[in-house]
Amino acid sequence: MLKYTIKRLLQSLLTVFIVVTIVFLLLRLMPNDYYFTEDELIKLTDEQKEDKLRAAGLLDPTLTQLGKFYKNLLTKGDLGTSRRISNGQPVWELIGEKFGISMRLGLIALGIALLIGIPMGILQARYKNGIFDHLGTAYTIFINAVPRLVAYSLIYMLGVKLFKLPSMYSIRDPGRSSILPIVCLAVGSIASYALWMRRYMVDDLTKDYIKLARIKGVSTRGIMFKHVMRNAFVPMAQNLPVTFLLTIGGSLLVESFFAVPGMGPLLTRAITRYDTNVVQALVLLYSVMGILGMFLGDLLMSVFDPRIRLAGKGGETR
Amino acid sequence: MKKNKKMLAGEETPVVNDISAEGLAAVTGQSEAELFSFVEYHPEEAERIGYSEYSYWKSVWKNFLKKKSAVIMLVVFLAVFIFSFIAISPLCTKYRHYTELESNKKARFTTPNKDYWFGADNIGRDYWYQVWYATQHSVMLAAIVGVGEVVVGVIMGLLWGYVRKLDRIFTEIYNIIYSVPTIIYMTLIALMIGKTFMIMCVSLIIFNWIYTAKNIRNLVFMYRDREYNLASRCLGTKLGTILLKNILPYMISVIILRMALAIPQTIGMETTLAYLGLLDVQEPALGLLLRNSREQFANYPHILIFPAVIVSLITVTFYLAGNAFSDAADPRNHV
Repeated sequence: MLKYTIKRLLQSLLTVFIVVTIVFLLLRLMPNDYYFTEDELIKLTDEQKEDKLRAAGLLDPTLTQLGKFYKNLLTKGDLGTSRRISNGQPVWELIGEKFGISMRLGLIALGIALLIGIPMGILQARYKNGIFDHLGTAYTIFINAVPRLVAYSLIYMLGVKLFKLPSMYSIRDPGRSSILPIVCLAVGSIASYALWMRRYMVDDLTKDYIKLARIKGVSTRGIMFKHVMRNAFVPMAQNLPVTFLLTIGGSLLVESFFAVPGMGPLLTRAITRYDTNVVQALVLLYSVMGILGMFLGDLLMSVFDPRIRLAGKGGETR
Repeated sequence: MKKNKKMLAGEETPVVNDISAEGLAAVTGQSEAELFSFVEYHPEEAERIGYSEYSYWKSVWKNFLKKKSAVIMLVVFLAVFIFSFIAISPLCTKYRHYTELESNKKARFTTPNKDYWFGADNIGRDYWYQVWYATQHSVMLAAIVGVGEVVVGVIMGLLWGYVRKLDRIFTEIYNIIYSVPTIIYMTLIALMIGKTFMIMCVSLIIFNWIYTAKNIRNLVFMYRDREYNLASRCLGTKLGTILLKNILPYMISVIILRMALAIPQTIGMETTLAYLGLLDVQEPALGLLLRNSREQFANYPHILIFPAVIVSLITVTFYLAGNAFSDAADPRNHV
C-alpha cells in the first residue's frame, strides 16, 4: 500500500509538472508588452522597456526562464508578483484573499448538497418508481441536460422577484447576498449526488446477497442501511474529494453571474488582462487540487471497501 | 453423465425403466426397424446452421420506440428544428441575413406583438429572427463537436485498447485533461488563439475526445479476450470481422450515447463561454442570447424565455434520446 501511494504521488507530481510546463510555455508565446501595466506602456520609451524586461529576465531563452520559474517555486515557494491586476502584490497574497470568499460559499454549498442530495437519492431508490422517484429523476435530468446558465437565470428570477433577495453579492452584506450564489452552486451537486446514489443503490438492490439477506429475514431498513448504502458509498467516495476541492476552488460561472469577487473572476481577469504570473499560479493550484482529489478519491474508496486493493496489477479501480 | 441420467430416470419412472431400443419397442408396439432408420448424409444440409429472424437494427429500433418520452421529445425537437428554417425564410421574416438586422430605437424591449412575434431586444432588433437563427447555429456547433469528438475518440480509443505501448502516454494525456477543469483550458485558448466558431469547435473536440476514448478502451479491454472472440479467432474469423461484428455492437451504445450527450454538453459549454465573454459576438448562438438577457430579464422576461425554452428543449431531448438509444442499442437488452 505504501509503495503504491508513493508511486501514485510521484506520477501525480509528473502530471502537475507537465500541465504547468505546458501553460508556462503557452504564456511565453505572448508578446512581452503584457509585462507592463497600461500606464507604463504609454510612458516608457523602447529602451527603458527593454532594460526592464532584461532586468526581469524575460529576454532570456525560454528554457532558462522555465528553470528559474521552477527554482523559485521549489526553493522559496515564490510564484512572483502580479503585474497588471494589482501591481507588485505577491501572487499568493492576491489568491489568498479571493480563495477565502470562494471557499466559504463552496463549503456551505457542498454541505447543503450532501445533506439534500444523498438522502434524496436514497429515498428515490427506496421508493423506486413512486411519485417522489419520478420527480427526483425529472429534476436530475433537467439539471444535467439544460445549460447551467438557464437554471441560474431561473433561480435568479425566483429569488429576486419572489423573495426579494439581493441580485448581486456584496461584501457589506455577505449573509443575505450569498444565498443565491450558494443555491446555484448547490443545485448541480444535489442532482449529481442524488443521481449516483440512486443508480448505485438500484444496481445493488438486485444483487444476490440482498436476496439472501431478505430470505434470512433482514428488514428492508436493515438491508438499506447496512448493506446497500454502504456499498453505494464506495463509488461515491471516489468522486467526493474531487468535487470537494473543485467546489471550494469556486465556480467561474456562478461567481461571475452574481459578481462574487472570488477565484473565478480572478482567473478570467488574470487571463483577459494577461497577468501571466497570476494565471500560472491559478493553473498550478487547480491542477494540484484536481490531481490531489483523484488521488484522495482512490484512497478513500479503498478505505470504504477493503476488498479494493489499489496496489493490484492492472490498476483498474472501477 | 449419460449413465447417471438413465439411473435417475429409472428411479423416477419405473414404467419405462429401460431407454433402449428393445424397451421402447416393447412400449410402443413397433418394431425396431420402424422406429429407427438411418438418415442420408447430405454435405450441404450438414453445413446448414440454425437461423433466426433476429436483426440487430430492427431490435434496436423496436426497443427505442418503447421509450415514449424520448420518442415524443425527439419528434418535437425535429419539428422545431425544421420550423427554424421556415421561421427565418422570407415566408416569415423580411430579413435574409443576420447582418441585415436593423436596430430600431423605438422598438426597444417590445414585448411580443403582431409585428415582433418574439418581441425585440435591448437595441430594438427583431428577436424572432435572432432566436431561430441562433438555434440553427447552436445545433450545428453541437453536432460538429459531437461527431468530431466521437470519431477522434473511437479511433484513439481503439489504439489505446489495442496497442499496449501507448497506454502510458494516453493515461498521461487523460490525467492532464481530466485534472484541470476544461473551462480553464478553454479560457486560455479563447484568449490566446482566438474566439471564433471554428476554434471553439476544434478546442472542444480536443478536450472531449479523451472521455470517449477512455470508454472505448475499457470496452475493448473487456471484450477483446472474451471466450466468444477466442472461439471466433480459432475458427479463422478475420480481425476486421471480429471488430465489426463481435465488438462494435457493444460499442454502438457507447458511441451513440457519447454523441447524444455531447450536444447538451456542448451547448452548456457554449452558453458558459458566451457568458464569460469568450465567444465571438459576430455569430449569434443561443448562449449569446442568454448572456445578453442577463441584464434585463428581470424586467423583460420574454428576452430570457424564448431562448431558454428552446435551449432546454434541445438539451433535454438529446439527453433523453441518447440514454434511451444507448439502452436500446445494447444487445444485452434485446430479447
